[in-house]
Amino acid sequence: MLFRDAFKTSTRSLAHGKMRSVLTMLGIVIGIASVIILMSIGQSAQDLILNQVQGIGSNLIFVVPGGSGGGKFSAPASSQGIIITSLVQRDVDAFIREPSITAAVPEVRGQAQVVYDNNNINVGYEGTEAEFFTVRNMPVGKGQTFTKGDVESGAHVAVIGPVLATKLFGAHLDPIGKTIRLKDISFRVVGVLAKGGTGAFGVDQDNIVIIPLTVAQRQMLGTTYFGDVIIEADPDYDINFVKSRVTFVLRQNHAITDPSKDDFTIRTQEDALAILGNITSILTLFLAAIASISLIVGGIGIMNIMLVSVTERTREIGLRKAVGATDRDILQQFLIESVLLTSVGGVVGIVLGAAVVGLIYFVLSNFFSIGWVFAFPVSAVLLGLGVSTIAGLVFGIYPARKAGKKNPIDALRYE
Amino acid sequence: MIDIRGLQKEYTDEETPTVALQSVTFSIAKGEFVSIMGPSGSGKSTLLQILSFLDRPTGGTYTFQGKSIDDMTDQELAHVRNKDMGFVFQSFNLLSRLSVYDNVEIPLLYSDILAGERTGLVEKAVRAVGLEDKLYTEAGKLSGGQKQRVAIARALVTDPNVIFADEPTGNLDSKSGLQIMEILEALHEKGRTVILVTHETQTAEFADRIIRVKDGMIESDEPIQNKRIHNGALK
Repeated sequence: MLFRDAFKTSTRSLAHGKMRSVLTMLGIVIGIASVIILMSIGQSAQDLILNQVQGIGSNLIFVVPGGSGGGKFSAPASSQGIIITSLVQRDVDAFIREPSITAAVPEVRGQAQVVYDNNNINVGYEGTEAEFFTVRNMPVGKGQTFTKGDVESGAHVAVIGPVLATKLFGAHLDPIGKTIRLKDISFRVVGVLAKGGTGAFGVDQDNIVIIPLTVAQRQMLGTTYFGDVIIEADPDYDINFVKSRVTFVLRQNHAITDPSKDDFTIRTQEDALAILGNITSILTLFLAAIASISLIVGGIGIMNIMLVSVTERTREIGLRKAVGATDRDILQQFLIESVLLTSVGGVVGIVLGAAVVGLIYFVLSNFFSIGWVFAFPVSAVLLGLGVSTIAGLVFGIYPARKAGKKNPIDALRYE
Repeated sequence: MIDIRGLQKEYTDEETPTVALQSVTFSIAKGEFVSIMGPSGSGKSTLLQILSFLDRPTGGTYTFQGKSIDDMTDQELAHVRNKDMGFVFQSFNLLSRLSVYDNVEIPLLYSDILAGERTGLVEKAVRAVGLEDKLYTEAGKLSGGQKQRVAIARALVTDPNVIFADEPTGNLDSKSGLQIMEILEALHEKGRTVILVTHETQTAEFADRIIRVKDGMIESDEPIQNKRIHNGALK
């Protein structure tokens, strides 16, 4: 039997049981759509996170107090809630003296109530140097940043995030020049950051108050140590060389001779990308694995229906064999039917998946202000098509072989 | 055309062999109309299945058109069934959801005949059984007699040398049954070999010769003196 005739016969058989064909296909449609959606979400999340990390700048080095136990991916002690006081001004001064370092910006962080008029909001605040805004590439959208002079003089000035500005002042009131109270200390708003979204390491750039380091340390926190130091490497130097210099300086300053006893952790953008890339890849794989369960369930559904179909059409199989069909002709016909069911299901699943992915993009971008990246990987489409076709072959072969092997006499006698 | 010598068929079911046919010997010449008769369980259907290549014997020899069944693969048997044999069953075995055209076309799908030539062959076969006005009617919507005529058209479409008819009138009223036998008689008159299995004497008498089977053996094999002709009357 020619393939064209077998194809025609199979499509006709499927068309005669439209409702059954559609319902059978549904399992594969849902399975493929799930794989597509979850792979796409995984890819989007990965792109979003990696973009943000890349947005930090490739020449930045983050120095965090506390060792990380030597593991490349293990968290430094300070990020586990332990207060470590080892990172101080002396270290920053030493960094600045290094020719390969163009800037070293210390940061301290805290959480406090910010009040304007009747609006009272709990936010994270950050005390830092004036260079912070250029080093972290966080420009102001309105007003200006505070200056080096402001930091040295301990001026009560603040730069706030755009979302916080809207929450405190509403959509119409200009925040510049207004006085807010942070932990009962008055600050004059001098600038509003440009919209940036949630930045790397989970800091919400749009919902933050940034004040001079001196004010934060002396009046808000009462500390002399830093939460972290951001180092900007001279682009003429290799980042790993700069990293080694930073390590050297800190070990010297902190009198550390045994590297396993380092009381600091150094992270570059590359490290962060490696960690996040690993996490998101595993996440995407995990999501795809979950989705593939529904694909297997769909495939078993196909096999089940095909087995029922073979039994129901026993007499037809007997007749076809009596008038000259070979085992191979019958196998071919049933296999085409199952592959047709799964591949059409696959195409519908891809379209459905694309529609849902588009909807997610629309909702996240328009209603949640998340800079969601629309990712619809070609690999997911090819995978969807490939997997659905293979599912048709895998789950269709057993019923098709069963059909092909039927004895024509028994098949013709079947009631 | 058909020559069988010492044909045997044994079925082994749970270690107990059942002999369905033993020492069956006869020949059928080209253009003959032969009836195979016998009571239920006599082995006549088994004999027809072997003659029509749907089953293989367990002993003896079967030569069809000069070639032994033992020398043919299953694929070759399927090819011969398609090219040289036509089948008419008691229960029609039509695909009720397909049209008359599509049903009659089925054997052609498994043949070497090109798609472009099929339409003409299907129309010719349907015309031969007088159903040209029902060509695109769903087979399930036809009467019993019409269904059996479609089955005959399907058997004719590949222009086979032999037509095997297994109780073709068994599910029909006497008028429709007579019409079907007249069609088979007309095919025989045009030179086709017709082999009919029946338990009805009246139907069997349309043939030139009756082979009676009992307990898996040939009881008698003799020509008919008073052959019935197309109006059902005796010649």
